[in-house]
Amino acid sequence: MNIIVPIKQVPETNAVRMDEATGTMIRDGVVSIINPLDLYGIELAIELRERFGGRATAISMGPPKAEEALREAIAMGLDDGILLSDRAFAGADTWATAYALSQAIRKIGDYDVIICGERATDGDTGQVGPAIAAFLDLPVASYISKFEDFSEGQMRLHRLVEDGYEILQVGLPCVLTVVKEVSNPRLPTLRGKQKARKADLPVWNAADIEADPTLVGLKGSPTRVVKIHRPKVSRQCEKALANDEASTDQAVRGLLDLLEKRELI
Amino acid sequence: MSYNKVTPGIADELREIVGAKYVIYGDADRLEPFSHDEVAEKDYAHLPEAVVRPSSAEEISRIMKLANRERIAVTPRGAGSGLSGGAVPICGGIVLLMDRMNRILEIDPANMMAVVEPGVVTNEINNQLASYGLVFAGYPMSLETCYVGGNVAENAGGGKAVKYGVTGRYITGLEMVTPTGEIVSYGGKVVKDVSGYNIIQLMVGSEGTLGIFTRIIIKLLPLPKTAVDLLVLFRTVDEAIEAVPRIMTHGIIPTAIEFMDRLAIKTSCQYLHESIPYEDCGAMLLVEVDGFDSQQVEHEYETVGELCMECGAMEVYVADNATTAERIWKIRRNIAEAFKVTAPHQSLEDIVVPISQIPEMVRELERLSQKYDVQIPCYGHAGDGNLHATPVMNPAWTTEKWQEVLPKIIDDMFRATVRLGGKISGEHGIGHKRKAYLSLAMSEAEIDLMRQIKRALDPNNILNPGKIFDV
Amino acid sequence: MSDYSGIWILAEQSAGRVLGISHELLTRGRELADKRKVPLSAVLLGNNVSEADLAELIERGADQVILAEHAELDAFRPEPHTRVMQRLVEKYHPEIIIAGATSTGRTLMPYLAVKLHAGLTADCTVLDIEPGTGNLLQTRPAIGGNILATIKTPEARPQMATVRPKSTRPAMRQAGRTGEIIREPVADDLLSSGISRVGFVKDESTANISDAKAVVAGGRGFKTSEKFKMVYALADELQAAVGASRDAVDRAWITYPHQVGLSGKTVTPGLYVAIGISGAIQHLAGMQTAETVVAINNDPDAMIFSVADYGIVGDLSEVMPVLLERLRERREAGASQSEEAGG
Repeated sequence: MNIIVPIKQVPETNAVRMDEATGTMIRDGVVSIINPLDLYGIELAIELRERFGGRATAISMGPPKAEEALREAIAMGLDDGILLSDRAFAGADTWATAYALSQAIRKIGDYDVIICGERATDGDTGQVGPAIAAFLDLPVASYISKFEDFSEGQMRLHRLVEDGYEILQVGLPCVLTVVKEVSNPRLPTLRGKQKARKADLPVWNAADIEADPTLVGLKGSPTRVVKIHRPKVSRQCEKALANDEASTDQAVRGLLDLLEKRELI
Repeated sequence: MSYNKVTPGIADELREIVGAKYVIYGDADRLEPFSHDEVAEKDYAHLPEAVVRPSSAEEISRIMKLANRERIAVTPRGAGSGLSGGAVPICGGIVLLMDRMNRILEIDPANMMAVVEPGVVTNEINNQLASYGLVFAGYPMSLETCYVGGNVAENAGGGKAVKYGVTGRYITGLEMVTPTGEIVSYGGKVVKDVSGYNIIQLMVGSEGTLGIFTRIIIKLLPLPKTAVDLLVLFRTVDEAIEAVPRIMTHGIIPTAIEFMDRLAIKTSCQYLHESIPYEDCGAMLLVEVDGFDSQQVEHEYETVGELCMECGAMEVYVADNATTAERIWKIRRNIAEAFKVTAPHQSLEDIVVPISQIPEMVRELERLSQKYDVQIPCYGHAGDGNLHATPVMNPAWTTEKWQEVLPKIIDDMFRATVRLGGKISGEHGIGHKRKAYLSLAMSEAEIDLMRQIKRALDPNNILNPGKIFDV
Repeated sequence: MSDYSGIWILAEQSAGRVLGISHELLTRGRELADKRKVPLSAVLLGNNVSEADLAELIERGADQVILAEHAELDAFRPEPHTRVMQRLVEKYHPEIIIAGATSTGRTLMPYLAVKLHAGLTADCTVLDIEPGTGNLLQTRPAIGGNILATIKTPEARPQMATVRPKSTRPAMRQAGRTGEIIREPVADDLLSSGISRVGFVKDESTANISDAKAVVAGGRGFKTSEKFKMVYALADELQAAVGASRDAVDRAWITYPHQVGLSGKTVTPGLYVAIGISGAIQHLAGMQTAETVVAINNDPDAMIFSVADYGIVGDLSEVMPVLLERLRERREAGASQSEEAGG
């Protein structure tokens, strides 16, 4: 079973600081990590590869620095990594990102399953996984919470929806987007890190993946960000101290009064 | 030794010195938070009669003179995050709360020094220093809450002492108020200073019994740019501990070498629902290396990892980013909390033995565990032999039984520690929690020398009485 | 571009009954249609859909219902649904399509946007029309709610967006409102799929917290799964859904569908009660837009208080029983009062 795992490098969110004046993110000195929700996909890919053989390959589109994320994925246990990096890719929205990734997947050619994280914690759209499936004309099973088994060319999967779990049979090749419940990501090991350091990571540009120049990057993106502003969430917290019976009682009473006043109970 | 009470008249005098709103007096509810530190057992707590929050050395000087005149005990207090009862006013009297003296007075990059007041949260110093590319290398585990004044008073250690040493190493100057109320100042922004007795290092670790610090000069280091953590799983304690001198003698000085025994690992991992395969694991080491050059750090962690493999490590996990590092450190940091869930009573100790004696000490703890039918998880700073051996109350016991048996366990444990060439406290201090056991680690003559120093500086035994030893 | 006209909302159904999200989308769609002075259509793919429910779509503001029915369209599967939608879009040329940010909408819309070469914006909180150009202005939170970005699609048509469930009130029902129901035939060749739904495990406990009017969430402060059950008790009293911080989910006290925050769900309830949650930035990103936030935490400096309207600083083991008891008393008092009134 050959697997491709598209991943994204994102800023570590604990470290996110905003420039109050401009409303933009201060990227200076911010540490980058693999999108935490991609880790569940990486782990599932490793487990499937361990059970059913084949190769598991990470791909990522981003600046040269995104190579770190690919090496980390290899250190966890994926076999290879491919970086899509080209100035022409800059400014891509989800449509253009999915286009470039799907072109790279076409170039890789030999795949059975593409496993994406549910969404990235920075962009937070969850659109790239299904969009890749659309470009490749593949079925997409989204919000997968459990891999049950694989037999006779069909995967049996659980899909998390609003009121429960759908049980799906999905034929290969296909795209999965997975949620946290699907796996417990392992930590990278020393041997994995050594392998990752030595791994040869091809860097593909727009020409390498035979991308239509009008469909990549900002030029290929149907959407445009026209304005960014900072929402004002200003709350005056009324704090009540509860350190003994009397003060606890009073604090709880204060809470109920507020809920009543706002018609919440 | 008996002391006089803080009378309403004296409370008025205190209000006159620091301002009325900075005195808490006669309100047991508001005084209660200052009756204990982070030692959980209520027996160690004692209410103060007044809490006074000074803003300057002059105010403290006047308070001390008043206290000497009226024979009232004074206990200085930082954030109250101590683990030996150092800030607990066991003779009542006045608690001097240093929270208002919380300014970073100067950051001097040219001299690589910072001048701070004692009430600054330790981590805040480093937050401010980060943009200068500098760091204060004192690193107690409680750095997000503790005050730097308390770090100096307790000579705090923590997780990074293997490489960076303990707090005292970075203190080059102190302004302080003596127990009799004189304002004196030693040292300065100098790295070398042999002009007279080394009073600064006498004050470091004096547990608030010899002086009240009002201004602290700290030597800074360049801030390391990169760090990597290794979590190493071993089958046995011996294998894990054998790896420690192997690493240390290989020309690599890790920032931290933390040790966790089977019980500590199991309890924390179950509590965290951590999925790493720890079932067959008898001990873990958490090793951190840091530096300025990522290739150098890479080379070092790889060397450390290989050495651990040679010592029989089952697996070496590598964390070189915030996500994975947090996951690894979480296991170490949650041990105490995980035990609190199952057993509310535990006695967090911090014995220290020569590194080579760690396996023997761990075996000793196993014997004690069987003898007394209690669990004694052992974890801590293997790189400097400082172990948090923590007897945990048998859940089947009554609290009374626990209180009866615990001193025997501690006594046996400390005797074993001393027999192996160790000391009863590596970083938490004696306070009043371990006072009764100090004679296990020191001769009467040795304690008496300390007593004479205390008498010379504090003739009325006003400052933090009842700590370390009885005068 | 001028060929494209009219506003579409993507209505959703389950077993022939129209789902509530459809009515919320009508509110959004009606506003836009009125601004653009174009008709509003509700598009629905399903099977044996209740006639009354179709009429209700019109009563709640749709000028037109475009219905594609087929047994194979009963359960959502991305490829057939997309193909049918694509046919409809190619036939009718709507300028705007809005869907709910549901498991269906979030899967179908990106798939469809690729096929149509259209722009799509996820999780919009505000939709508006740009004066002059008539472009759709789509505003959405990004970077963990730290910023709001306004996005438009200047060239491509249709303009597509998803909006969070419960971010709008359902459109009011106007009895007697009329409109047209168009039944579109579905060609069999559109219906093949690599996916088949072979079962369904209903799990009420995953009850969608993104939809809930009130959420009671617990975190690490509970220390044990036993104590965490107090969260359920309080949620019962407040008729709220149960949420959790990442720490609580990681410790397996509760399952992932309940996780609130950057790596879980974003919720915008009328009331959010955070107990034993310190308020890491990742958690705040998932709940700070709730209307009223209440926090209980023993650390007076916990970040959660910075986004709270009311905070109790205290040990949750002490506070929770008192809070539960007071709510119970209040409820029982209320019940006996209404009994008296009724009797």
